[in-house]
Amino acid sequence: MTITLEAGTEFRTRPRAMTRERMRWYVDGQPTIAADDGRVHTQPPTIHDDDDYARSQGLPGIIADGMISTNWIQGLLIDVFGPQFACRSRLQTKYIAPIYENMQVIACARVDTVVVNEAGKLVHTLDVWCEDDSGKKLTVGTAMVEAA
Amino acid sequence: MATGKFVTDLDKGDVLGPVEYTLSAFVIREYAHIVEMHHECFQGADGLIMPPTLIHLDKLRLYNHACPAGTGPTARIHYEYDAEVFAPARVGDRLSVVGHIRDRYLKKGREYVLLEMELTNADTGQLLIRYRDQVILAYATKSEAAA
Repeated sequence: MTITLEAGTEFRTRPRAMTRERMRWYVDGQPTIAADDGRVHTQPPTIHDDDDYARSQGLPGIIADGMISTNWIQGLLIDVFGPQFACRSRLQTKYIAPIYENMQVIACARVDTVVVNEAGKLVHTLDVWCEDDSGKKLTVGTAMVEAA
Repeated sequence: MATGKFVTDLDKGDVLGPVEYTLSAFVIREYAHIVEMHHECFQGADGLIMPPTLIHLDKLRLYNHACPAGTGPTARIHYEYDAEVFAPARVGDRLSVVGHIRDRYLKKGREYVLLEMELTNADTGQLLIRYRDQVILAYATKSEAAA
């Protein structure tokens, strides 16, 4: 599937609450994936799932792992561009504001350029970001996807 | 050379890995599930491909390999993710990942570490993903920690 979008085209996910459970899923997923034995594994307290530990590190409470917002952006790009995004692409994100428990998060992307590269492949570049329900940006970055 | 100790000890010039592993369907499905990417290419019965962001957990493979003493006294804060995909990784592929600490520097009272990684197909040598990762070693600034 080759999709062509115009510069300026914008798309976004529905708002999702960054709940305690969503943060913990990413925490427990790490040792579970490392073990790769089909069972769920857990890890010692982290700043993403234990308020006391987070406060011991100078934080007001648990905060989301930045990779959750990066993955929500990636999911949006795969919604639009399909599996090709996992075949030839680039995604860059910076976490410019902490995401605390129950904040609403919306992943967004806007097409910046559409060009044909020297190999004759269609390339979209995009600005990507996550924002809260007031429009404040939490995560910012860029993306590129090259058509097959 | 700070490998063999804590992650917080890592310093410019350190080399992490290489570490080899075989990509499983469980790893792809589980990762896609925890971040709610319910796409058939990640959660279907067959034909799965690696979500590019899964490279972030390869960083933890390298940390575990190079820093067996663990995280260290402070929790890291992830600051930047930057991954370029050159070709897909698929279930059953034998993969090799290696990391290089390119920089460790102080900015506004916080220590940053820049890690560059490459994921290759161990059988063919083909570069699949190049990844740049920046972390802050502690949320509290140096002055706050000393107070």
